[in-house]
Amino acid sequence: MTFDLSTLFILGICYLMLLFGIALATDKGWIPQRITRHPIVYVLSLGVFASVWSYYAVTGNAFRDGFGYLAPFIGISLAFLFSPVMLRPILDITKSYQLSSLADLLAFRYRSPLAGTLTTIVMLMGVTPLLSLQIQAVASSVAILAPEASQTALAAAFCLLITLFAIFFGTGRGAGREKHEGLVMAIAFESVVKLLAMLSVGGFAIYQGFGGFAEVDQWLQAQPELLSSIKDTSTAGSLHVTVILFFTAAVASPHMFYMIFNENNDPKALTMASWALPLYFLLLSLPVMPILWAGLKAGSTAPLDFYPLTIGADYGSPLITMIGFLGGLSAASGLIIVITLALSNMCLNHLILPVYQPTARNDIYRWLLWKRRILIAALIWIGFLLYYIPDDKLSVRAIGNVSFIASLQFLPSIVALLYWPRGNKNGYMAGLLTGVLIWLLFLMLPVVTGVDLLESTNLSSREIIAISLVCNILIFVITSLWTHTSAEERASADICALDTIRRRNRTGLVARSPDEFIAKLTKPLGERTATREVLQALRDLKIDQQEKSPHSMRLLRGRLEANLSGLLGPSIAHDLIDRFLPYTIESEAGATDVDVIESRIEAYRSNLSGMAEDLDNLRRYHRQVLLELPLGVCSLGEQNQIVMWNHTMEKLTGTPGQSVLGAQLSDIGEPWASLIHDFTVGDAAHAHKRVVQVKNSRRFISLHKAIIEKSATHKIKQDGVVILLEDLTETELLEEELTHSERLASIGRLAAGVAHEIGNPITGIACLAQNIRDETDNDELRSMARQIIEQTDRTSRIVQSLVNFAHSGANKPDHTSEVVTVEECAKEAITLISLDKKRKDINYVVNCRQSLQILGDSQRLLQVMINLINNAHDASPAGSTITIASKLVSGSVQISVTDEGTGIPEEVRDRIFEPFFTTKEPGEGTGLGLSLVYSIVENLDGHIDILNASLRRENPGTRVILTFPCYDGAASAAGASPDAL
Amino acid sequence: MYITRATLLLMLFSYLLFLTSVDWLAEQDGAWYRPFIIGLLVIALAAFSHREQDSDDL
Repeated sequence: MTFDLSTLFILGICYLMLLFGIALATDKGWIPQRITRHPIVYVLSLGVFASVWSYYAVTGNAFRDGFGYLAPFIGISLAFLFSPVMLRPILDITKSYQLSSLADLLAFRYRSPLAGTLTTIVMLMGVTPLLSLQIQAVASSVAILAPEASQTALAAAFCLLITLFAIFFGTGRGAGREKHEGLVMAIAFESVVKLLAMLSVGGFAIYQGFGGFAEVDQWLQAQPELLSSIKDTSTAGSLHVTVILFFTAAVASPHMFYMIFNENNDPKALTMASWALPLYFLLLSLPVMPILWAGLKAGSTAPLDFYPLTIGADYGSPLITMIGFLGGLSAASGLIIVITLALSNMCLNHLILPVYQPTARNDIYRWLLWKRRILIAALIWIGFLLYYIPDDKLSVRAIGNVSFIASLQFLPSIVALLYWPRGNKNGYMAGLLTGVLIWLLFLMLPVVTGVDLLESTNLSSREIIAISLVCNILIFVITSLWTHTSAEERASADICALDTIRRRNRTGLVARSPDEFIAKLTKPLGERTATREVLQALRDLKIDQQEKSPHSMRLLRGRLEANLSGLLGPSIAHDLIDRFLPYTIESEAGATDVDVIESRIEAYRSNLSGMAEDLDNLRRYHRQVLLELPLGVCSLGEQNQIVMWNHTMEKLTGTPGQSVLGAQLSDIGEPWASLIHDFTVGDAAHAHKRVVQVKNSRRFISLHKAIIEKSATHKIKQDGVVILLEDLTETELLEEELTHSERLASIGRLAAGVAHEIGNPITGIACLAQNIRDETDNDELRSMARQIIEQTDRTSRIVQSLVNFAHSGANKPDHTSEVVTVEECAKEAITLISLDKKRKDINYVVNCRQSLQILGDSQRLLQVMINLINNAHDASPAGSTITIASKLVSGSVQISVTDEGTGIPEEVRDRIFEPFFTTKEPGEGTGLGLSLVYSIVENLDGHIDILNASLRRENPGTRVILTFPCYDGAASAAGASPDAL
Repeated sequence: MYITRATLLLMLFSYLLFLTSVDWLAEQDGAWYRPFIIGLLVIALAAFSHREQDSDDL
């Protein structure tokens, strides 16, 4: 059965156009995001790993190795089944630091641009032949179906379309870090096509070739040689090598690295892939044996490798042949697209950018975009040339098979990256070069040139691979142990290593705000790129552009380096950031950032179990104790870096812990920085009642400190000082109030004594004056006597006030306790005041609820009301209104006296209850009225407040509010809704 | 990343399953799809053991 080239060509073009359509529809948003971002799409896109080796070559392998053909599937599946061991940690690192390829990852881990370049070169050597293998597979499949057609023309057309697809949908806008959803969707679709094609062909083979499953078994039992060959376990050794090779390929093959880590939107998708991808490979490998047996049964003359393609023709079904062809096309195209995208990134970051970088005048994104596009085209067409140039097409396949083994040489460095922080760049490069050299001399050279250096030794390929790997590991370990590891590299090793959460703790950035970041980066990147990158990093971190805290600036620096790493590769990004945004202070090697350690432990918390979980609970308990301590706790690390800042410190200073953790002490602002710094550098372990001026108020702070000794554990090298701040302001104010009360009491006692002593002579003077007034006829003398009597009356009133004041200041409750109705008391006070006809005309309004009663002495309360109304009267202009009101507030009776007078100036408000303090003209007031009121109210268990009655600037008026406990509990329940004033 | 007990148990179980099933797989009169049954079993266990491992992200 043969086909026209035009038929195959149209079929191929239609299929590739469909891919374009899917990618375009996804990029344009025509397909809902709930579909395009579903984890299953990510899982299916990883099916790109199953290239032509799993579609065509697999039947040939099954014939030769029996069930050994499953080894590659098992290898890659194991990598996913145990993804927490290798893939998940690498995903975390690549996501955090925007690493897009294995070369990026190794250059980041070993802090060496050379390591990245070496990785890229070895990767190119190992993977480029795979491209030509895919092209050859497509061309060969066309040759089988249309023998007279030109394979080269079709292969060239295929390459052209693939180049266009990769350029349009794989390069984005050049920013380097965006996800290519269109590409992922198209690759996922290819995986579905591949799987459906394989299952269809397999189903066809079983039912058309044999007639059913039972018939397959019957036929198989009749083929004892075949049956024993498929279950032969003698080749297990080489299969183990294949398993390890494909296990490594999950990370070490550029296309898998690209799809697993670069296009991952959600870590949970990888969790799903850990079982779903092995299931995909299982389904893909399931029909292989039936297809092979059906081909053998039919006596197919086609090469064994192409049975999935020819089985349809063998049994006379053009449809199955076309399906088989499409499956092969999808397997080849997917791999070429992804592999070239991945390699183009690697070549750009590690071969081109280290020697040639865009200037700040260029549009960097555009420059990178075009370089990436050129690289993609170049790589695909190099693959085409590698397919086209050799005369012997079999050698292409042989080279492709051997070249892929090179990726195994990355296994030691990948394992060390996660599990052995001692490994260094010297060890990595020496080990890799050794392994690659053995691979080149003893595996590649015989295939390419036919010269076999080990011909006499009769070593098998499997043994040579094992030797190269062992030599690689030995040289890696020995060189790493014997050579120096830089501090920079140790820091990277700590970031990557699984068993440590240490971070180097460096502080003090040259740039102190996002604007300064932009200014510093403008020089290498240009203003537009610098601004865009800094703003992007701020958005990623959800930090405001005005933010200037050192902690945020350090985060911003880290994020910028990660983002630039996605754009320019880790080596260039690290170098650029170090050069233009350096730290001003370098900490000791090994110093740790406790805050970072804690945040990482928090992130892993649900994974902790057993003793680790108990220790974590203990840590959380101790931390909570410190955080909730009613004393301010501030712990300082080296170079006065703030390590702990508890809740009380936050309240005391008004500075949230998040903004000062990791900052220098000097960054927290005055007066706290000076207070803590002076205390820290001083010798005293305690400082009592330091006065701190915070805004308009004074605070009294006692300080205590303790030195934290260096920990015995070498991993935690944290010496510093812990400082406790005790806020004694409340205590100090109480003490001052007590002193003031004592002073008032003394004055009261003095006043009582003075009143007593003065009272008697005054009475005498008054009597004598009355005698003179009554007994003389001299008018002038009588007038003078009247004046003396008036003055003595006045003196007597003052003396009586002093006596009352002195009595009221006594602590003993000498007043009678009776029920007083507030409204009656207010009205009586107004009546009494109104008796004085000389007074100016004032309106009195009483707005009291009738039922409100308090328990107290009615005469004293009356005195309070009279004093307050008198004061209000004196301060009020003629014709104004004085309002006396009462209401129930939370079970208390609130009585207010409000006037429309001049109000009480702010500066004297604190002194108005002091005895003898008055704002009235000399001779007008004694300065004892409010003192008396204060004393009586306090004795009646009440409280007095004075405030302005309104917001008016002139004559704001005064409102005096008295609060007493309500007498009637029922009334308080009835008055749940507060009465209006 | 912290390697969970579930992952370690899965590794141990898979290894033990491999050791014990080698002879069963190699039986001449056994069904040809036996390796796939073992594969499905391991995948099902992996799906079960990974179900709660996605709560922590960095």
